[in-house]
Amino acid sequence: MKKFRIIEHTADIAVEVSAPSLEKLFEYSVYAWLQSVAEINGADNIEDKSIELSSASREVLLVDFLSELNYLLNVKRWLFINVKSLAIEENSKYILKAIVAGTNLENADVKLKTEIKAVTFHQMNIEETGKEFKTKIIFDI
Amino acid sequence: MIIQGIEIKKINDTLWEIPKHGGMLVPGRIYTSQNLLESTLQNDEAIKQVINVAHLPGIQKYSLAMPDIHWGYGFPIGGVAATDLDEGVISPGGVGYDINCGVRLARTSLEYKTIQKRIPILVENLFKNIPTGVGASGAIRKLSTKEIRKILTHGSQWAVEQGFGSDEDIIFTEEHGKLKGANPDAVSERAIERGTDQAGTLGSGNHFLEVDVVEEIFDREKAEVFGLFEGQVVILIHTGSRGLGYQVCDDYLKVLVEAGNKYGFKLPDKQLACAPLKSGEGQNYLGAMQAAANFAWNNRQIIMHLAKKTLMQTLSISESELDFHLVHDVCHNIAKIEEHQINGERKKVCVHRKGATRAFPPGSEQIPEKYFSTGQPVLIPGDMGRYSYVLAGTEKAMEETFGSSCHGAGRVKSRHKALKMGKGRDLIAELKKEGIEIQAKGFRTIAEEMSYAYKDVSDVVDVMAKSGISKKVAKLRPVGVIKG
Repeated sequence: MKKFRIIEHTADIAVEVSAPSLEKLFEYSVYAWLQSVAEINGADNIEDKSIELSSASREVLLVDFLSELNYLLNVKRWLFINVKSLAIEENSKYILKAIVAGTNLENADVKLKTEIKAVTFHQMNIEETGKEFKTKIIFDI
Repeated sequence: MIIQGIEIKKINDTLWEIPKHGGMLVPGRIYTSQNLLESTLQNDEAIKQVINVAHLPGIQKYSLAMPDIHWGYGFPIGGVAATDLDEGVISPGGVGYDINCGVRLARTSLEYKTIQKRIPILVENLFKNIPTGVGASGAIRKLSTKEIRKILTHGSQWAVEQGFGSDEDIIFTEEHGKLKGANPDAVSERAIERGTDQAGTLGSGNHFLEVDVVEEIFDREKAEVFGLFEGQVVILIHTGSRGLGYQVCDDYLKVLVEAGNKYGFKLPDKQLACAPLKSGEGQNYLGAMQAAANFAWNNRQIIMHLAKKTLMQTLSISESELDFHLVHDVCHNIAKIEEHQINGERKKVCVHRKGATRAFPPGSEQIPEKYFSTGQPVLIPGDMGRYSYVLAGTEKAMEETFGSSCHGAGRVKSRHKALKMGKGRDLIAELKKEGIEIQAKGFRTIAEEMSYAYKDVSDVVDVMAKSGISKKVAKLRPVGVIKG
């Protein structure tokens, strides 16, 4: 199954992501973001980082998660490489607990493609259709 | 005419209306031409977004769109909406992530023919001295949190106090480079952190600094007042509030998504998240947005000063020989409290301009005294391979568009498509052949920003001129470009 596809968008980058679970939808979304911002050819000194976020809705949680990695790249110059583990709990809020691997930019052989200003809410709607979770994500560039 | 299943009625050759239907509180109005409407909006979500904006509580008169309208998020790019201060809302979707993205034009005494051969070295030096590209930083020393907070309060007046410009620059900047309601306390630590080393940087995407030559004058009287003449070298700068502004928008979208639920708003798009202007959430966003706007004015002020110094050094000329002056600085992503005539009454409203430029008429108290007879200069960048325009504001804009005009060409091809079209071509050589020197961080930006990715800005500007919303004053042609 294809995890995400780029949709034509006049000004920005739009992707459509589908996955067999909510957790996988978040994971594939991160890879869609990564493919949009960077081309990684190699990396050293890879370290784990733990991320914990909570939000009232799944959409806000997804925007928060992608925004966190975007912030780490643009401000802390820390490049996400892959997801080690990711779990989403649902109580009164949605809680995301993830361990992601990455490295400081200077330790990576990477070509930065574009600066994503922000992960938008525009047309974002996480849908469950049978066994599939789907959403659109538009990155403002 | 039906576009994407939506009925659009022609009012005249430059104005089209979407009648009020469904949950729309006002009709939609698009300034465009038959040609632009058919060629650029058939496969675009922008018309639906004009309808969505018409759902905003407290919206006045019309949900408007300028001829450079294209698909944004929340509002279309090119969207204008005014909301009532008591009953209405403020929406970050009506401002955009790049708060106070805008344009400034500076004039010089130089004639292009006398410096034509020095353009390549000038562009090289501008590219060295002004940081561009993804995460660009370090134009000036890294600033402390305290200094950033001062910028958030004082805008470009901070830069002038630090020696990056003169008091005259402040006079010719919209709002004197400082929105007084700015509230640095409403700006998150993370947003401030994103701003610490980005003052004076261009960034990436469609932001640029151009060395232009005044190619054509349409209105000699106004051009003279603006200080423009044919063959003159001018500097055009397009950038905004960088990461700080993006973070402010990001922070408040989340707050306002939740506020929308609290206030019971039912809007067709989450990105139109909003809060009543009078509410705590609304006031906090307004204060933070104004602070980010001040950061952007300061940013453009520093960049202009760096450009001026680079011109003097590269051409080995003195300040008096260069005779460098700011013509005007205008913002095109903003929400401002302004007074307008609504249903026969003067009334304060919150005007959202998302990819639209303020275009106030002659005699307006808000514009520099020098421009009382002409109306404010309205700066419309085109694409880097063709031309840009200088227009002037008119009374008709005050009557019809809350004193707003278009802001640029507007994309017609996605970045993805534009990149594909550029593959295998020597775009730098192609531009050079057209007399344009370019320095950019990479092939990708150049390919994404080539002329083929944009509408012809002349078509956009012609709609504004024919409709009487703005008057054409001058056309600028790029001869040197730096981009991220």
